[in-house]
Amino acid sequence: MKAPTRRALAKQQTRVKVLSAARRLFSEAGYEGATIRDIAAAAGMSTGAVFANFSDKSDLFREIMITDMGDLADAMREAASYGKGVEDTLLRMFAAGYNFYKTQLPLARAAFSVGWSPQDGPALRSAAPVQVLNALIIEQLTGAVERGELGPEDLALRASMLFEAYLSNYPQAIFEGWTVEALQDRSRDQIRILLAGARRR
Amino acid sequence: MTSARDLSSTDELGGAPAAPSSAPLADGPPGARQTQKEATRNRVIAAARNLFDTQGYEGTTIREIARQAGVSVGSVFTTFASKGEILSQVMQDRLDGLYAELDRVMPHLRGDTLDRLRTMFAIHFAFEARHTRLFLAHIAAAYDWTLSSSATPMGRNQRLQGIIGEILAKGVAAGDVDPAVDFQETVDLLMAAYAWVYRLAAWNNADAPTLTAVMDRQIGLIAEGFAPR
Repeated sequence: MKAPTRRALAKQQTRVKVLSAARRLFSEAGYEGATIRDIAAAAGMSTGAVFANFSDKSDLFREIMITDMGDLADAMREAASYGKGVEDTLLRMFAAGYNFYKTQLPLARAAFSVGWSPQDGPALRSAAPVQVLNALIIEQLTGAVERGELGPEDLALRASMLFEAYLSNYPQAIFEGWTVEALQDRSRDQIRILLAGARRR
Repeated sequence: MTSARDLSSTDELGGAPAAPSSAPLADGPPGARQTQKEATRNRVIAAARNLFDTQGYEGTTIREIARQAGVSVGSVFTTFASKGEILSQVMQDRLDGLYAELDRVMPHLRGDTLDRLRTMFAIHFAFEARHTRLFLAHIAAAYDWTLSSSATPMGRNQRLQGIIGEILAKGVAAGDVDPAVDFQETVDLLMAAYAWVYRLAAWNNADAPTLTAVMDRQIGLIAEGFAPR
């Protein structure tokens, strides 16, 4: 591998600084409230320097979310490896997600706001790590079908409904202060409801 | 793009025109001021509905709403505290029509719980399908930082939840809903499915029959979970 040039290193450092400032401001002021100007100021650089690295605010936000969701997918995969049976495995995965975001709920809130927006929502929702999370759920259901635990009916629909159900509990954490345990209890019931029709034993 | 900072600064500006004039209301021509205020309010609502429906929640600014309504930013703020509150009012005006229709139809619905849930949501989609972006704006607004407590974004509106609850209660009485099922959880799952279908709609330009078909499958799957065993 070629050693990175000094310029490439400097550019990388700038990106890291911008991303960490942006993460803080999005958490404090929300997606709408954080401006590129504020982010540049917080990172101690010019607006131009920010734009040299990111095309716009949505690009910056997406980069943060994609990094996080990549880490989240790793955490979920690891949690799934301890699961026994499909319900337990899914629950462990979702609990890993709630644990992952419990200290950064304001950022999750900003992500939901962007995720529902007609302009930036589709790109965020179809980002590669989101596909990985979906695939991870499908993987668990497919495994359960192979073990004879579940029937194969509506597998893809069940998987996306499980993912939506997992996401739909975040507002309880964001606005009602639900603990990870409360989210987990809710999630357990949701998984049971959504798998009920496919249960074989 | 309007930042929260922009909004709060216009908010301060908006305070000025709101200052009450010295003439007491009772002495003026009856309701003249009220009528004027009502007209402004209606124009703001109409302009806002258009903008939210085309630009989404985030893409709509108070300034643009004022411009399209032909009123000053200040007079928008004499009636509404925030963008979120305007959207709540837009949705409430629209949904009043929908719920009036549902109040009329629901008592006459026959069939099992699954049928009645499907019909109830189909009525929603028939009503909302041409304004899916407006509905998405309604959902997105729930996460707005500047949201005031007087706004009622999606999910905090209790009417749909109440209607679903009644359908489930009837189902328990009729024996096709397991009495041990947690109503609130089932309601929340149905609401999550409902919101998700709107996302498909807005991003894929799906029409009402398509939305209804997707929702029907999801309701079917949730119904398997609340069936007595």
